[in-house]
Amino acid sequence: MRFKHSLLRLGLRSGMVLLTVLCAAAPAADWPQWRGPGRTGISIEKGWLDQWPAAGPAIAWRAAVGLGASSFVVGDGRVFTMGHADGQDTVFCFEAVSGKPIWKHSYPAELGDKFFEGGTTGTPTLDGGRLYALSRWGDAFCFEAATGKIIWSVNVQKETGCPVPDWGFTGAPLVLAGRLILNVGEAGLALDKATGKLLWKSADKNAGYSTPLPVELDGRVLVLLGSSKSYLAVNPVDGKEAWRAPWVTEYGVNAADPIVSGGKMFVSTGYGKGAALFALGAGAPEEVWRARAFRTQLNAAVLHDGHLYGVDGDTTSIGGIKCLEFATGTEKWAHKDFRTGALSMADGRLIALSGTGTLMIAPASPTGFSPTASAKILDGKCWAAPVLANGLIYCRNTSGNVVVIDVRKK
Amino acid sequence: MKLDRRSFLRKSAVAGAAFAAAPYVRAAAPGRKFRTALIGCGWWGKNILKEAMASGRCQTAALADVDATTLEVAADQVNGLSGDTPKTYKDYRELLAREKPDIVIIATPDHWHALNTIAAVSAGAHVFVEKPTGHTVNESRAMLKAVRDSGRVAQIGLHRRIGPHHVSGMQFLKSGAVGEVGMVRVFAHGGGDVEKPSLNEAPPDGMDWDFWCGPAPLRPFNKRIHPGGWRNYLDYANGQLGDWGVHWLDQVMWWSGDAPLKRVFCAGGRPVRGVPVLNTKEQTSDAPDHQVATYEFEKFTCVWEHRRFADNNSEKHKIGAYFYGTKGVLHLGWRDGWTFYPTAKSAKIEHENPQLQEPDGHNLALLWADFMESIDQRRAPVAGIELAHRATVLPLLGMVSWRVGRSLAWDAATERVIGDPEANQLLSRPYREPWIYPSA
Ligand SMILES: NC(=O)c1ccc[n+]([C@@H]2O[C@H](COP(=O)([O-])OP(=O)(O)OC[C@H]3O[C@@H](n4cnc5c(N)ncnc54)[C@H](O)[C@@H]3O)[C@@H](O)[C@H]2O)c1
Repeated sequence: MRFKHSLLRLGLRSGMVLLTVLCAAAPAADWPQWRGPGRTGISIEKGWLDQWPAAGPAIAWRAAVGLGASSFVVGDGRVFTMGHADGQDTVFCFEAVSGKPIWKHSYPAELGDKFFEGGTTGTPTLDGGRLYALSRWGDAFCFEAATGKIIWSVNVQKETGCPVPDWGFTGAPLVLAGRLILNVGEAGLALDKATGKLLWKSADKNAGYSTPLPVELDGRVLVLLGSSKSYLAVNPVDGKEAWRAPWVTEYGVNAADPIVSGGKMFVSTGYGKGAALFALGAGAPEEVWRARAFRTQLNAAVLHDGHLYGVDGDTTSIGGIKCLEFATGTEKWAHKDFRTGALSMADGRLIALSGTGTLMIAPASPTGFSPTASAKILDGKCWAAPVLANGLIYCRNTSGNVVVIDVRKK
Repeated sequence: MKLDRRSFLRKSAVAGAAFAAAPYVRAAAPGRKFRTALIGCGWWGKNILKEAMASGRCQTAALADVDATTLEVAADQVNGLSGDTPKTYKDYRELLAREKPDIVIIATPDHWHALNTIAAVSAGAHVFVEKPTGHTVNESRAMLKAVRDSGRVAQIGLHRRIGPHHVSGMQFLKSGAVGEVGMVRVFAHGGGDVEKPSLNEAPPDGMDWDFWCGPAPLRPFNKRIHPGGWRNYLDYANGQLGDWGVHWLDQVMWWSGDAPLKRVFCAGGRPVRGVPVLNTKEQTSDAPDHQVATYEFEKFTCVWEHRRFADNNSEKHKIGAYFYGTKGVLHLGWRDGWTFYPTAKSAKIEHENPQLQEPDGHNLALLWADFMESIDQRRAPVAGIELAHRATVLPLLGMVSWRVGRSLAWDAATERVIGDPEANQLLSRPYREPWIYPSA
């Protein structure tokens, strides 16, 4: 496998980790990291219920985790998320199936309610029995996933002096070959994942809000980051920048992760900026097309069979789901009045949670959006993508009500 | 409204002549679009420019902002929305000299309104400028004079002069349905808490912070100031009274037919936010967290109130104006429209919903259409400089009274405080070099 070779060339130690990251082959259908096993927003799970009775789907359990837009990660029978209350952030661990609390850890944190209710915005990452988390203000933690015991913790903002972007650090930590890569500073930084020791850092300029995305391009492993004024690529070993695509979005909100396929990079952000496809090569990325009317402000789209499915619009707008052809940027359809909800995918079906709490299941098709199931499961605002793992769909709203929907075939 | 137009015509007889005499050089010939420029490309400037583009009558020729990133974002949005490729400038003076725009939209922070507006009308442009007209009273007077001298149209962003529920609310008031109104209470409340200082930083890449501060004092850069947060820093604005107060005090002027102010007293402070901090390392804002200002008129008393703590869940309304009449109370609000609470137990509550443009809850499309029409018809716009100046003086005087800590007797004819040299001094302020305070 080509990828393995490039790892060897890089002299990276724990290639296995990276293989799971990129090959999306975990049969257990866990969801150990932001955007799932392949970092694509797509689960490999099959054979779950895409319909439910008129009375609504079965609810496995509920919980309250405090303010925030943090999503979920699931592995080894445990589910993790974060929330904020009373001057503290809390990292929660529950039993994935029963919702029984296993452990939690709180630390002091500001509410950070700039133009929204505030609370945690990042999602932790599960890897090798450890849980890594990053707060908006730079507190990085490594926990023993089973017990919540802190292996190490460090405030990377204080340690490096990097500025905190307007809404705080948001990208989930990326575990890559022994390193923990964070979207902190202009082009990320890396810690030793075992000790939290700083390995490299970038310029003291604002980070964007995306999650570091590992990709292999022409035999080279690179990590892509949304920075405050560009989407850029760095070498994970030493942090050296490979290239950047200038991309200025209002307030520096380059938040949605890029999507890479066939040597091309798709980028889309909110505030009227829209989307573009770039061809990647040895030099600077070159724009292939631009589509203004596809603006993923908070969550990246999913790419399936040559089509992108994503949420278009800002938190202040009506918002809608749209389908765009990857190769050309042509809009195939738009489903209106979704607000800034979020979606994920599994087995050819979109799992879409509207910004006002309606969960819908619909086949991912360029011909239109026709849900096979729909239910209002939450009130308030829903900004976090629903997560399907082992037959359960984990959903939350920004005030921290968690609802877990049971779609296991009995 | 009739009254405004009449008084406009009377007061600007000279201007009117200039208007007619001046070749209508850069007005739209049939089919020709207005060459439009925006100075200050932040949140509100882009909102106004969108209406200009939506009207189909404006071509965005140029943009100016001292923050290069803001400028780039705006230019990209304009291109996306209209296909225009505006030239971009850091220095608005250069823009005016090179582009010779027909229309200039001004949406800079308050401390810039006077210099920007005077330069724009002097360069021959019609202006759509944001409220308040000026950061100190004499800036507003200088703007008024410059607009009159130029004969250009100046629309001020007081969209509550044309918002449908404001128009119908005013009709309701003037119909006598509320009875004899003896007191008005205007207010804008919100939540808030102790303010912790935040660290000063280097200005963002591509930002000319010295230029941003311009004629005002140069504070260390802080993210809480730019963008948007400058409202709470008295060097650049006048807090909640200057920001929201002007909208609602203008409604009082509208209702009363420009009743002349006799006296004002304003108290307030920062018992909750805390004592302002400003040092090389960190700073807080310094605008009062609450203020109460009493405005005395011949036939009624008007009280302004704002609180930025404790919210206001004990009352039905958090923002707006209560007109207290013999037949009941009219609340004229924002997203809650207007509501009449009659005194008579048998009478029914009356209500009208607002018709606002969302997400930001304004009526800029109507205000822009009126601006276009006033240019076409050479008539006074619905929110012209004359009335906006009168409305702006009220919050600014409230701030002067708050600063000197005593009540001010006001001579509305001469626009001077009676027998108070210290207060009169505060109708102007020193400018930072090389900027020169405009004279009326
Ligand atoms: N009428 C209303 O309802 C309403 C609502 C919101 C704002 N406003 C008004 O709009 C104005 C702008 O407010 P905002 O919220 O957009 O502020 P903002 O801070 O978002 O934008 C102001 C912009 O002006 C730029 N600027 C500063 N000095 C400049 C100069 N000399 N030349 C060019 N650009 C300069 C800044 O860099 C910034 O980008 C204010 O006067 C405010 O009172 C009115």
